[in-house]
Amino acid sequence: MNNLMTREKWQTIKSRYSIYLVLIAMIIVCNLLSPNFLSARNISNISVQISVTTILAFGETILIIGGLLDLSCGSVLALAGVLSVYVFKETGSLSLAFAVGLIVGVLCNFVNGILVRRFNIPAFIATLAMMTVARGIALLFTKGQNIYQIGDYVWFGQGSIGFIPIPVLFMIIIGILTWYILGHTSFGRSLYAVGGNEEAARASGINVGRIKVGAYLINGVFVGLAGIILMARTNVGAPNSGQGYEFEALTAAIIGGTSFSGGLGTAGGTLAGAFIVGFLNNIMNLAGVDSYLQQVIKGAIIALAVGYDMWAKVNRTRKTLGAAKLPTERKEARA
Amino acid sequence: MKFMKSIRTVTAVAALCLAATTVAQAQNYKIAFIARAQADSFAAWLANGIMDEVKKYPDMTVDVMDSQADDAKENAFIENAVANKYDLIIVQPNNGEAQRPYVEQAVKDGVKVITTNARIKDIPGSSSVDADPYEQAAVNARLALEQIPQGANVVVLNGPSGNMHADMRRDAWQKEFFDKRSDVKIVGEQIAHWNKEEAMRFMEDWVQANDKIDAIVSMNDNMAAGALEVIKDDPKFENILAYGVDGTAEAMLLIQSGKMTSTALQNAYDLAAKNISVAHDLLTGKITQIDTDIDCPLVTKDNVAEFIEIHKKSGAIK
Amino acid sequence: MQNNLLEVRNISKSFPGVKALEDVCFSVKEGSVHVLCGENGAGKSTLMKIINGIYQPDGGETLIRGEKVEINSPIRAGELGISMIFQELNYTPEMTIEESLFAGRWPKKRFGQIDWKTIRQKTLQLLKQENLSYDPQTKLKDLSISNLQMLEILKAISRDADIIIMDEPTSSITNKEIEILFEKIADLRARGKGIVYISHKMDEIFRIADEISILRDGKVVETRPKDKFDIDSVIALMVGRALGQGYPKEDVPRGDVVLEVENFSGPTGFSDISFNVRKGEIVGFAGLVGAGRTEVMRALFGLDPHFGGTVKVHGAPVKVRNVQDSIRNGVVMLSEDRRRYGIVPIRDVKENVTLASMEQFFQKGRLHSARERSRVEEICSKINVKMASIDVQVSTLSGGNQQKVVLSKWMLQDPDILILDEPTRGIDVGAKFEIYKLMTSLVKEGKSIIMVSSELPELIGMCDRMYVMAEGRITGELDRAEFSQETIMRYAMNMARKAV
Repeated sequence: MNNLMTREKWQTIKSRYSIYLVLIAMIIVCNLLSPNFLSARNISNISVQISVTTILAFGETILIIGGLLDLSCGSVLALAGVLSVYVFKETGSLSLAFAVGLIVGVLCNFVNGILVRRFNIPAFIATLAMMTVARGIALLFTKGQNIYQIGDYVWFGQGSIGFIPIPVLFMIIIGILTWYILGHTSFGRSLYAVGGNEEAARASGINVGRIKVGAYLINGVFVGLAGIILMARTNVGAPNSGQGYEFEALTAAIIGGTSFSGGLGTAGGTLAGAFIVGFLNNIMNLAGVDSYLQQVIKGAIIALAVGYDMWAKVNRTRKTLGAAKLPTERKEARA
Repeated sequence: MKFMKSIRTVTAVAALCLAATTVAQAQNYKIAFIARAQADSFAAWLANGIMDEVKKYPDMTVDVMDSQADDAKENAFIENAVANKYDLIIVQPNNGEAQRPYVEQAVKDGVKVITTNARIKDIPGSSSVDADPYEQAAVNARLALEQIPQGANVVVLNGPSGNMHADMRRDAWQKEFFDKRSDVKIVGEQIAHWNKEEAMRFMEDWVQANDKIDAIVSMNDNMAAGALEVIKDDPKFENILAYGVDGTAEAMLLIQSGKMTSTALQNAYDLAAKNISVAHDLLTGKITQIDTDIDCPLVTKDNVAEFIEIHKKSGAIK
Repeated sequence: MQNNLLEVRNISKSFPGVKALEDVCFSVKEGSVHVLCGENGAGKSTLMKIINGIYQPDGGETLIRGEKVEINSPIRAGELGISMIFQELNYTPEMTIEESLFAGRWPKKRFGQIDWKTIRQKTLQLLKQENLSYDPQTKLKDLSISNLQMLEILKAISRDADIIIMDEPTSSITNKEIEILFEKIADLRARGKGIVYISHKMDEIFRIADEISILRDGKVVETRPKDKFDIDSVIALMVGRALGQGYPKEDVPRGDVVLEVENFSGPTGFSDISFNVRKGEIVGFAGLVGAGRTEVMRALFGLDPHFGGTVKVHGAPVKVRNVQDSIRNGVVMLSEDRRRYGIVPIRDVKENVTLASMEQFFQKGRLHSARERSRVEEICSKINVKMASIDVQVSTLSGGNQQKVVLSKWMLQDPDILILDEPTRGIDVGAKFEIYKLMTSLVKEGKSIIMVSSELPELIGMCDRMYVMAEGRITGELDRAEFSQETIMRYAMNMARKAV
């Protein structure tokens, strides 16, 4: 009996924390492959490298949990970033520039939210439209040219407080914020319910529309911030930056155990997912892996990590349900 | 008073009539500029240049079309331009071979065509204005031949594979430098897609893995600037050499401050001006065909000041 | 003597915890219509699904034209000449009539391309033969339900089906369309087909039946030619069991009217609904499937819109624009479709229970975790939810326990009025009894319950008063003393005049 209990416990740990186990395994393997890997400098580097997409991934996590999605974050990031840089160059005020970046992110996502809520456009389509529109405005505004000489603005991307780089600090703050919103607020609770079963949430008195718009507004803050960091880090206001970042963000969230069917996902999982991708890119560069081969390996590892995570979860379900119940489950799923 | 007023009215009417007749008399040539991608900053710069330049010619107007880095879109624009009876089409190919049959067809249909940045070679009847991508990289590589020390470690940043400029520039570095310097070791080579942020990520990892990097060989300025951004405050890499291509405002400033070694200017304004003047000559019948290149001068600390003036004029930097 | 086209002998079928069919014998003769009637859950659908090869029987045998066969899939059933027209038609909206008629058995040309020319010819020929004037290119989404049904019949004919099963085909079509359907059925009968017709509409049954079988609690209680039956005897046989015992019903003093609904109408198919509920009272809503009971309750709870009528709670008129309004008024609803409207299956018990009452545990948006846990544990043990802990996923619980989780959710709200729509559907006997007991203790606490159920015995066993609905209207109101299955069924079939 006692033995069974510990096995049961191990099962739970394995399933609940499987993605962290993948992360730990990865750290061990990377450390064997490169002595530099665990150096403070390298870890700090990786953290800075993943900060922008991880902040976007936190936003995607919130949205996917609520059964939504944002394909526009790469473009909105560029728009928020160039407008913020522009305002800084015109006024020299860091705080004003910072505010503008966030406001642009929030406004674009407010439109996303309204399209989804009021006009019932699927999130995929609404944000696909925003992706094109925001990129277009960014290019229009800058005539397609980079904005150079952004001076003190680079602090947002290159500065540090103590030994912590500013982008990493932002990433940590956004991560904690996401964790808090998801686990400790009624908004977070409602969000899980809306994503897990929208009809049941509505029938429980949750204002589903407000939750969806709220999720987009939060995402907007994150995207705006990511835009500011990216421009500052690269020391240029580039209207064509951030292309494809939406998929990097989605990848991190999905690897981190966020379920595309909604209602599942955690801030910690997403952070782990982002680090898995970050470690992977880093170790392959440290080891000098050929550029084409990198893409192949990356895809394979992502499939493996998610595959293991799913397997561990299914395994648990089977254990708790008992084999006899599975056919019913399957039947219900089909119905 | 009344008299004065009527005189003024008469004069105004007369002036208006005069203006109307001048407009009616002048030939108005319609030009289509089919750009590779407005999201590509060089292409956008070129498009802006063409728009500015054409204002100098009252008998020509330009419409800019954005192919969004998509062959199918670009080809459709060429066909549409022929169908809409443009007098001349300037094609900035996304991928020369993909646009070739459409350009050939346009020429056959009697439309004048200029291919630019990069030219599509060997289409009888079409003209071309370009800067030679091989030469742009080669001028840097020849300089590097003298500058890069024996037994050096270098890192290489490439453009997207399959892109004509990316491939030609890399080819120039191979033939003009690496083939002649077997002592030099490439400790990292990656595709950073012309992108500054991606180049930064690669460089951050490379400086971890290698204590000694003597030179950055980059196929454009953007990526070189990204790599330099990573090591800008690192005394270990104070004397690193860095080569780019394009002559962006950012690169000019980096060369001026001594952080970057050299670049080759591919001046979009020159290219634009040349395109428009060739277009005018073709349309007015001054010439029937021409293949011409603009210069791609090597920019180093010695001559950077004059080029910075170009960018200041455009407002990209102050 | 006509030959038996189809005969089943001693068919039995069990599902976990339920004996769905027991020793059922049933046959269809050539050129005849055999009506199968019974209450909801009597086993009609199960029997038909066995004949159509969707379910496998636990015992018994099936004969087609006197030969023993095994029907292990709907495809096999099709090969044997059995064709079933379901109550809920499944169709691909973008398919055309001709595509759908030949779906899955499209004639092929030499290299495997579909031979559209032959399809067109055959379709036109079939339409002409059956005197129908459809355009073969019409898309299914542009057809009415009755046209789709007709198409299903056409499909059956085109497959040379001899045995056609129709499951409540008139439940969602107009009277005029019913006439067309009946003409078709008469035509099919004249051509020697055997038809199984499932219905509980008495007028229809007596119009078209040759034979009638009555199924009750998984058994065939009677099979006779039509003229050996009358409406009363059919109803008596359908419901005829001695029940009303074994329910934990207690007499609770009834107080003032707490809910009063007047002339309530809505776009979902009900009109002019007026009723009231007193404090401490369990009010039943009886009726056949599709009578509009669930629709009334959904609108009353704010899940669907309504366009007329007044709702008064404790004597004061209230607005019901959405669920939030309803909860504020102290009215909550447990939905008939638990998986869809009741639970968030992938979240844990705790979150499901507090879903509707978050304001109790979140102050200024911040969670008081310890208070939440203790309240959820308290309420779950009161309602007796069986689970390992409040942290397990709701989807891993049994149906009865899931239902108790939904009940716990609403108990946290401490509502005055609970609407329970089919509260015992799909849960086992033990859990049913617990829910009945809970209902009794709730009314003892002074709450009021509206109970919608398709199981007459439980309504009779638990309710103090009952409204009966048919076709979107209330057709009768009965006091406990007047409860009898026969009376209720009469009202439910809107034939009350004969009852008086």
